[in-house]
Amino acid sequence: METNFSKIKAAGRLLSSKQMSCEELTKRYLAAIEKENKTLNAYVRVTEEQALAAAKKADEKIMRGEVLLPLEGIPMSLKDNISTKNIETTCCSKILQGYTPIYNATVWELLQNQNAVLLGKTNMDEFAMGSSSETSCFGGSMNPHHTGHVAGGSSGGAASCVSGNLAVFGLGSDTGGSIRQPASFCGVVGLKPTYGAVSRYGLIAYASSFDQIGPITACVEDAALVFDAIARQDPLDSTSQGKKESASASLTKELKGMKIGIVKEYFEGIDKDVAAAMEKAMETYRHLGAELVECSIPELKYGLPVYYILACAEASSNLGRYDGIRYGYKVPHYEDINEMICKTRSEGFGAEVKHRILLGTYVLSAGYYDAYYKKAQNLRGVIVNAFQRVFDACDVILAPTVPMTAFERGQTQKDAVKTYQTDICTVPVNIAGLPAVSVPCGFDGKGLPIGLQLIGNHFQEAVILNAAYQFEGATRENGAFRSVEMGVAL
Amino acid sequence: MVTREDVLQMARLSKLYIKEEELDALTRDMDNIIAFAETISAAQCEQTDFDNISNLSNVLREDVVLPSYSREEILKNAESQDEGYFLVKKRS
Amino acid sequence: MKYELVSGLETHVELSTNTKIFCGCTTDFGGEQNTHCCPICIGLPGTLPKLNEKVVDYAIMAGLATNCEISHISKMDRKNYCYPDLPKAYQISQFDMPLCKNGYIALSNGRKIGITRIHIEEDAGKLVHQRGNTYVDYNRGGVPLIEIVSEPDIRSIDEAREYVEKLQMIMRYIGVSDCKMQEGSLRCDVNISLRPIGSVEFGTRTEIKNMNSFTYMTKAMEYEVSRQAELLDEGKEVTQETLRYIVEENRTESMRGKEDANDYRYFREPDLVTIEVSQEKIDRFKAMLPELPDAKFTRYVNELGIPEADAGLLVKYRRVAEYFEKAMEGTANPKVAANCIIGQIFRRVENETEKEAFDIALPAEYLRDLILLLDGGKIKMNLLKSTLEKMLDQGKPATDFIKEEDMGGIDTDTLRQLCTDAIAANPNAVADYLGGKEKALKSLLGFVMKNSRGRADAVEAEKLLIEMVSASK
Repeated sequence: METNFSKIKAAGRLLSSKQMSCEELTKRYLAAIEKENKTLNAYVRVTEEQALAAAKKADEKIMRGEVLLPLEGIPMSLKDNISTKNIETTCCSKILQGYTPIYNATVWELLQNQNAVLLGKTNMDEFAMGSSSETSCFGGSMNPHHTGHVAGGSSGGAASCVSGNLAVFGLGSDTGGSIRQPASFCGVVGLKPTYGAVSRYGLIAYASSFDQIGPITACVEDAALVFDAIARQDPLDSTSQGKKESASASLTKELKGMKIGIVKEYFEGIDKDVAAAMEKAMETYRHLGAELVECSIPELKYGLPVYYILACAEASSNLGRYDGIRYGYKVPHYEDINEMICKTRSEGFGAEVKHRILLGTYVLSAGYYDAYYKKAQNLRGVIVNAFQRVFDACDVILAPTVPMTAFERGQTQKDAVKTYQTDICTVPVNIAGLPAVSVPCGFDGKGLPIGLQLIGNHFQEAVILNAAYQFEGATRENGAFRSVEMGVAL
Repeated sequence: MVTREDVLQMARLSKLYIKEEELDALTRDMDNIIAFAETISAAQCEQTDFDNISNLSNVLREDVVLPSYSREEILKNAESQDEGYFLVKKRS
Repeated sequence: MKYELVSGLETHVELSTNTKIFCGCTTDFGGEQNTHCCPICIGLPGTLPKLNEKVVDYAIMAGLATNCEISHISKMDRKNYCYPDLPKAYQISQFDMPLCKNGYIALSNGRKIGITRIHIEEDAGKLVHQRGNTYVDYNRGGVPLIEIVSEPDIRSIDEAREYVEKLQMIMRYIGVSDCKMQEGSLRCDVNISLRPIGSVEFGTRTEIKNMNSFTYMTKAMEYEVSRQAELLDEGKEVTQETLRYIVEENRTESMRGKEDANDYRYFREPDLVTIEVSQEKIDRFKAMLPELPDAKFTRYVNELGIPEADAGLLVKYRRVAEYFEKAMEGTANPKVAANCIIGQIFRRVENETEKEAFDIALPAEYLRDLILLLDGGKIKMNLLKSTLEKMLDQGKPATDFIKEEDMGGIDTDTLRQLCTDAIAANPNAVADYLGGKEKALKSLLGFVMKNSRGRADAVEAEKLLIEMVSASK
């Protein structure tokens, strides 16, 4: 089955057929941002000057009759934790206010080489710690499907701007679900690649052994196109390995005979509407010729604590460097250097970040290390092995992305443990370093989108994207997707 | 059980100040989260001491000098600098 | 003293790689502040380390040279502590799986000082405190170090000193570090405790940080030993603490109290992957290792017949030893080359740095050719010595200074004739000598040597002169 949903290709056609210049396309997006961003708060920084310069370059190429690269001239966004040379990069934290990197993240280097048009930096939970983007020092990002609800997080801005048609695609980062969860909330596609598929160089670290950059797009084909453009082995990232095969070239394979694992633990305690959408999705896959295999990973019950222990431990170390000396915020008044550092950090970090730093420090400290960090590390190995058992019998695993739909603004952060529960279906993938994609599969009673998650074995992005693509083709025009009436229509 | 003293010790190690009026609430929150994390203590599992999520080894760099950045760039984001040094004034 | 010293050392050695441990910036010493830096050196958000292969190789060599086992699998860890000279607020080091472990260094008294472990890590930047302000320079940040941790096997200050000297000598031999204490490329933290002689339990120890000269290390240890002995004598307890040595006042001072003790929260560095070292690589490095000073010393003494004192001088610097070995190759008696180096060449390389570099104008092959002339009977020892001085001045071969006709000895008749001439030409000297001034013979000998153009055997000539002058009485 071939689909025709690609916005990247649609924009590319507009440009190469000279129906619209890249400058005009870019200006439309900039105008739409000007109009809608007040409501969505998707962008925290708009890079008009750079965008127009890139657009001009693309237009010159078109004028010379040259063939455009796949992402050339495509207006897009970057999450504000991806380093951009000479463009302020803050992780939506006061502590990095005014910080302008002197180097580019590898992903941005790759996209720049394709001359993609950067519209701006997108909103996120402070240092990617949160599920609603409301811990951002710029305030939360809203859901285009219902602006009283959050866009999700931490890549809330990236999902919001793609869903609200304020960018063709965006790059986000996913540590415990930060790409898939907002993609699910906003009714768009989000791919969390295999750990090591995309370089982390220049991604401001939250939890280094979990973090991974990936695309948030309007459809599966676009996710594959962007993934193909950014998945590279990078000499600057020792943990990067690149990708196995082209994802966009693998999108037309039939699903006949494909074994889809239904891991029962993923379906425990999920919202009624989400459960119903999952049932429908399974039915669709049966129609597409896939075989559903019931299985169980009892170890998943340890997923959340393992994730929070290890991620916070790494975060407490990664965030030690913000001391006001070399970059970022520095408190104006202090009595000595130690007070300067402590005050800078106390004022510069928000409450959630400080919580996680303290928690991470606790689980690593002498006397608690074995009970928490070491135990969690061991369980991580156990969970990795448990997934491998399932993949011995299945090609992909089907699960909800989030057990619920987007919450109302201001609802999170009251009970930390309860808030953490929203990540229950997304974190296992990060624990095991697996790839997973969230694809729209329906709506709840309020009209809020629901996401379907497809999880693959390591470096099987092509497999899960193809499975998502076939599903999208069968359902997108039958109620799984609604486009939002705002922004730029392509 | 996380105590106020535990929280203060973690804050000291993390270079964070905690206001007296926040301490009790923070201790309660931390205790909640730790109690939640505690659920793993019941898990039986083999020792997998040696974690390596990317399963890679020996990713190494050749010992070849690359040009350093200009000092101007290195100091560009510093709030305070003097004679090519990052500077922290005695008090401010 | 009724106490026995128990001491262990942690020695930091800066490796002489071209680039830093995790980035391509140069490790050159002494550049202008913050000019040997990149985003990785100053810990900019988002940067990642990339391990320098040479650092691993050098550490393996250091381990092999100190009789360590090399770990087939090791990893990097983060040591977390917040200090302005540490740009990431953690030092990337090795915690529980060091590259090398269980080695030793043998001292001249026959005792072996155990080496617990050798691990690789990054150096910190430099802080300059002035008028209460703190100035930070990150040039040194990320320079590769190995930390060599000894067992508490050291029992005297002399042993401590010899242990460090041996480490320094070995590291220089294998070429992994210049070990210049004054530039900080070798620094020691010294652990010290005392116990009553005969006791097996260790006393409470203190640690003196950052000793960067042998003199200060000795003085600081002397001070600390007497301080602890006094405390114990008074029945007081030694407090476990970290000390700094104040040079100007010759005393130690506490750096931080116990309640302030750091908790480093070590955990695996997630940005770096496992280090695997194959047996094949270990074997290859073992084979590449140069002969080490101890082995050389034994060989020089036992096989070459060099006196121990001279052998010690020759092996101390690798370049000297190599020069010696080249110069003595194929010569009849290695002692000649040894004496030339120790007696004559060393006068021209006075300090340690010069000996270390041993950058002398004269190629060892020229010295060897000169010694071969002696071996072949073509020149005598005195001509060898005077020619060597000229050769050292100009860096030219012996043939530039000794003409063909000067070579070869002279027969007894010619020598007798020369002596007769000398006696005839120097009646005053003869009279002086006969009058009891033995020194006067020297001018006669000089005459003979000069007229033989150095070919005469000085010893023989002197004997003959005495005989003839005495006979002429």
